[in-house]
Amino acid sequence: MPLSAGNFDSVLSPSSAEHGPAMGGYTDWQTTGRKFRGIKRRRWRAILWSLVYPYRGDRLMLTVSGAVVVAVALSIGVAAYNTSNNILFIALSLLLACLVFSGMLSWLNLRSLTWRLSVQAPLRAGKDHPAAIELHNGKRLLPCYGVWFDVATQGEKKHLRLALRERLDPQATTALEWTLRPETRGRLRVEVNRAVSLFPFGFLKKILSSQLKRDVLVWPAPVAYQRFPATAWTQPGQVERSLRAGMGGDLLALRGYVRGDSQRQIHWKASARLGRLMVRQYSAETQTGYVLWVRTAAEDWPRPDQFELMCSLAATLAEDFFRAGRLVAVVIDGEPPMSVRRRHDLDLFLDRLALVEPCAAPVIHHAASTSSRRANLLTFTPDGSRGVAAYLDGTKAATA
Amino acid sequence: MGQKRPQLNLSELHQLKWLLGGALAMLSAWSVLYVEVESWLWLGLITVGVPLVIRWPTLTLRIPRWVHRLAFPLFAALFAGDYYFGKEVMPALVRLSLMLLFYRAVTPRLRRDDLQLIVLGLFLVVVSGVLSVSLAFAFQIVAFTGCTLVLLLVMNLIEAAESGHPVVMDSLQTPPVWMQLEWLRLGRRLREVADWRVATLGVGLFGGVVGLSALLFFALPRFEFTNNLFLDNLITQKSKTGFSENVSFGDVTDIQQDTSVALSVDVSDPSQIPAQLYWRMLVLDEYAKGTFSTSDQLKRQLRDQRQPAQLITGGARPSGGDSVWIFYLEGGTSRYLPLLGDFSQLKFNDGPQEYAIHDTLRLLRLGKTPAKMFAYRVEGMRTASALGAPEISPPRDGAGKSNKGGSEATGVERDALTGPSFLEIKLDSAERARLDAWVTALNAPSDDAGAFARLATQWLAKGHKYSMRMTLPGGKEDPLVRWMNSDSPGHCELFAGAFTLLARSAGYPARMVTGFRGGSWNTTSRNLTIRNSDAHAWCELFDAKKQTWLRVDPTPGAPEAVPDAKQENPAVLLARISDRSWSAKFDGLRVFWYRRIVDFDQKAQAELARSAKVAIENRAQQIKQSIHRLLKEVGEWMQQPWDLRRLLAIAAVVAGGAGAVLGWRYWLRDGLRRWRSSLTHAGLDPVRREAGHWLRRLKSLQPPEAGVFECLTLQAELERLRYGPKIGWPDAREVFRRARHACRYPHSRSI
Repeated sequence: MPLSAGNFDSVLSPSSAEHGPAMGGYTDWQTTGRKFRGIKRRRWRAILWSLVYPYRGDRLMLTVSGAVVVAVALSIGVAAYNTSNNILFIALSLLLACLVFSGMLSWLNLRSLTWRLSVQAPLRAGKDHPAAIELHNGKRLLPCYGVWFDVATQGEKKHLRLALRERLDPQATTALEWTLRPETRGRLRVEVNRAVSLFPFGFLKKILSSQLKRDVLVWPAPVAYQRFPATAWTQPGQVERSLRAGMGGDLLALRGYVRGDSQRQIHWKASARLGRLMVRQYSAETQTGYVLWVRTAAEDWPRPDQFELMCSLAATLAEDFFRAGRLVAVVIDGEPPMSVRRRHDLDLFLDRLALVEPCAAPVIHHAASTSSRRANLLTFTPDGSRGVAAYLDGTKAATA
Repeated sequence: MGQKRPQLNLSELHQLKWLLGGALAMLSAWSVLYVEVESWLWLGLITVGVPLVIRWPTLTLRIPRWVHRLAFPLFAALFAGDYYFGKEVMPALVRLSLMLLFYRAVTPRLRRDDLQLIVLGLFLVVVSGVLSVSLAFAFQIVAFTGCTLVLLLVMNLIEAAESGHPVVMDSLQTPPVWMQLEWLRLGRRLREVADWRVATLGVGLFGGVVGLSALLFFALPRFEFTNNLFLDNLITQKSKTGFSENVSFGDVTDIQQDTSVALSVDVSDPSQIPAQLYWRMLVLDEYAKGTFSTSDQLKRQLRDQRQPAQLITGGARPSGGDSVWIFYLEGGTSRYLPLLGDFSQLKFNDGPQEYAIHDTLRLLRLGKTPAKMFAYRVEGMRTASALGAPEISPPRDGAGKSNKGGSEATGVERDALTGPSFLEIKLDSAERARLDAWVTALNAPSDDAGAFARLATQWLAKGHKYSMRMTLPGGKEDPLVRWMNSDSPGHCELFAGAFTLLARSAGYPARMVTGFRGGSWNTTSRNLTIRNSDAHAWCELFDAKKQTWLRVDPTPGAPEAVPDAKQENPAVLLARISDRSWSAKFDGLRVFWYRRIVDFDQKAQAELARSAKVAIENRAQQIKQSIHRLLKEVGEWMQQPWDLRRLLAIAAVVAGGAGAVLGWRYWLRDGLRRWRSSLTHAGLDPVRREAGHWLRRLKSLQPPEAGVFECLTLQAELERLRYGPKIGWPDAREVFRRARHACRYPHSRSI
C-alpha cells in the first residue's frame, strides 16, 4: 500500500498520529538519519563524528563473516608488510575496498527508511490481536532488503524479531505483522527497540535505536460464567427507568453518527444543516436494567486470582448486558455511578477495569451509597477459595 | 503506480547461491594452473564434479553419511602423506585446499560451509597470485571478488528470508524444493527480476570498489623490509630442461615450441640496444654421448656467496652514460639469469638472494629457480659480441675455490682442479680421427680463430640445412658425429655442438652457450620482449691473438658476429624488430603489470605522489593561465572602439544566454522531469510529483503566524495539483514559484 497524503501528514506532524497514550493506534514515523537532518550546520562533521562516537543505541557489531574478513585482512596485511609483496597488497586493498563498499551499500539500504508501530486497541487478555510495523522505503530508485526489528512487549523476556523477508521497492510500504497476546489485563507497553540490518554482505550488524513505543490498555479476559435461573433476573416489580437511548417511540436527542449506527436513524435534515451526519436517539422503553457495582476493597479480595476473576466476570457481564441493552450504570467502589448509554461508556468502564487494583479502604461516595439502594444492583463477592459470585440484589445470580 | 516488479523466492535464491558457490569453487581451483603444483587429479575432479552437482544438486544427497564422517580424517591423512613423501609444504597445502574445496563444492552447504568455501578459494587465489605473479591474478582476483560479493549478498538475502530457520537437507527422499532445478527457468526469472538501473548502479559501484582498491594499493604506506616472501621457500621450481646444466639434443628446440614470453627487458636508453641480441644464460663445456653439460670444474668455479645479497658488483667499469636494463624473467625459466655480457652493477628487486657468480664467464646463478617472475636491474651492461677480460676484479666472499688469474681465459694454462680446459673431447679414437679429417678438410689457417669460425660455419651450412625436426642417422657412433657425417638437417644445438667439437679438434678452446637470441621491440610498452621460441644455442671460441672469447653462431641464417661492426642506427634497429601485433599489446599489459604493480615500492610510491602533485600543479597553472588570458582578451576587446558588429555580437551572446535560460525553464526542465518521472515512478505526472515534493517541504516548515492563511491557500493549491483532476488545476508554474519562495523565506508574508 503506498503512502497516501494522509499518511505523510503523520510523518510531518508528530502529534497528528497520536490518539492518546492508552488507545493503541499508530505511533509517529521514525526515519533513519533524522538526527542529522535536524542539524543545519556542520552536518557532515556530525555524521563523521557519529562514526567515531555513535548515538546512543546506534551500534555496529562484528558478525562471524565480518570477523573472518577482518582476520583474513589482518593476516594478509601482516604478510604484505612483512614481505613487501604487492600481490598481497592488492588482496589487502580489495578487502578494504569491499569493507567500504559494504558500508556504502548498507548506508544506501537504510537511507530514507521510515517505520511506525501500529497496535489496534482494544486488547483483551488471553486473546490474539494483530499488530504491525509499517515500513516505508522513501528512496526513489533503490529497493530495501534485509532489515529486521526487535519488538519487546512488557512482561515478555524474549524479544520478538520481525524481519523484512522480501524486497521493499522504492516508494513502497509494507507491514511486518505479528500477533500480540497479552496474558493479563492492565497497561501493556509495546516497544520497537531497534532496527537491525546485516545487508549487504553480513560483515557488520548495523543497529539503529528506535524509540517507538505504544502503551495500550488490556481489558480483562472474557470468562465463562454460570448464570443461575434465579427469579431475581426476571422480578417484575424491579424496573429501572432511565433516560437512555433505546428502541422506544419518543425522540430523546440527536447525536453524531458513529460507526455501527443504523442508517435508518440518520436525521437528514439535521445532517444537512450541521454539515455532518446526525442520528436520532429514542428513549428506551421500560425494561429491566442492571447496575454493576465493582468493589475493590482489599479485605474483600484477599486472593489476587479471585480479584482478577472478578474483573473478568464484571467485564463479561457488562458487555453481555450492554449487548442486551440492559446495562444502566456501572459503579466502581465509591465513585459516582456512570450511566452507560453508548459503546463509549462501556469502553470507559472496561478501561477502568483494566487498571483497577485492590485498594485498602475505598471511600464510599454519597452517590455510590445511594446506588447501593437501587434495584437490580449486581455486586461481586468471592465464592469459595477460587470462584467469584455475582449477587443481584443480594441473590446469587451467577458464578465464575 | 506501475506493476510490482517480481522478485526471487527463497528456492530461487538457494538455486542462485548453489550456482555461485560452484562457480566460485571452479574459479579459485583453476588459479592453481598458474603454479607448478601437481594437482591434476583434484583439478579434474573439481572441473567435472562441480558442474555435475550444479546441474543435478540432488546428487549431493546420494553421498552416504559415512563418507561425510570419514572425509576430514581422510583429507588429513592424505595431507600428512603428501607432505611426508613430497617434503614440500606448499604443494601439499594447495592440494589439501583443493580437496576441501571439492568436498565443500559437492556437498550441501549451510552458511558456515559457504564461508569456508570462500576462505579456501581466497587462499588458493592469493597463494597462486603470490607464487606466480601472473597478470591473470589481477583478472582472477577481481572476478573472484565480484563472485564472492554476489554470493555473500545472496546468502544474506536467504538468511533474511528464512529469518533464522535454515532449510535442512538431509535425505534423498525429501529433498528441498530448491533442488528441483530448472536452469532455463531460473535464467528467465533472473531476467524478469533484474532492474537495469539497479544492475547498472551495482556494476558502477563494483567498478568503484576496484577503483578504490587501486587507489588504496597506491596509497597504502610501504616500508622497505626487504624480506624474501616465505611462500617462495615452500615450493620448488624446476628449470626448463634446455636451460639446465645438462642439455640433450632437442631440449632447446622443445623450448622453442613455446611462444609465451620468457623475458621482458626495459631499457632506459633504447639507442644502446645492440643489433645482435644474444642473451647468455649458461655455458656448457662438456660433451658426452649426445648430452652437453656443465663440467664439475666449471661448476666449482661458480662461486656461491656466503651471504645473500641484493647488490652485485660486476667486472665492468661503471661510466656516466650507462643504460639501465630492468629484466623481468618469467617464473620457472631457469636459475641462470640472462645477460648480454658483463655489467657494472646488478640489483635484485625482491631483496637479497642466494647466488653464485663467475666473473670471467659472466654467469650468474640463483640459489634456486624462481617460481614466479623474477626482476633484476642491471647497470653498465656490455653488449659487445666479444667477452674480453673483466675490466675490474670485484671482491667476492665466495665459499667455493676461487679461480686464479684467468687461467681458463687463455685456454693454455689450465688446471683440472681450478677450471675446465674447453678442449676436451670425449670421443673414441675413430670418431676423433673422423673429426680431425673434417678439420683438415676445412683447410683453415692456423692461429686465426675468426677464419676458422667462418670456414667451419660454412662447412656445416653446406652439409646441413636448418630444421626444427631432427632425424639422426642410425649407427653406433656418437650421435653428433653421425649427424656431421650425414646430410640430415638439424637445429641450433646440433650446429653449435658440431662446431664446438670441430674447434676443439682444431685446437681452439670452444664452448657451447645457451640462452635466447633476438627479441622484439614492443611498441606499446616500449620494451624488449623475448619469447621462449627465441631459445637458442651458440658457441664461444677463444681467440688467442686478441685474448678474448668470440661469439660464433654456426646455425644457418644467424647473423655473423662482427666484433667491431658499427652500431646500427637505433631508430632503424627498433623499426626492424618492432612488434605491433595484438599479442604485443597484451604483452605490454603484462609489462605494465610488472613495472607498475609488481615492482611498486616505496620509491615508486614517492615518485607517484610527486608526479601526481606536479600534474595537479601544472593543471592548476594551465587553468589559471587560461583564465588570465581569457580575461585579458575580454578586456582588450572591451577597450576597442564600439561598432555595429560588436554590438550585434553582444546582443547575440545575451540572446543566447536568455534563450538557454528560457529553454531550460520552459522546455528542458519539464522534459527532464518527465524523463526522471518515467524512470522512477512508472509515468506519474511530473507536476503531481513536484507538487508532492513542495507539499512535503512546506509541511516540514513552521508556518509564520502572520502568513497562516497564505500558507493554507498555497497548501490547498498544491494539494489540488497533487491529487485533484487536471481540469481544475491552477497555474502550476506559478504555484511552484510561490512554494519555492515560501520554503526559501519561511518568515516572509508575501507568498
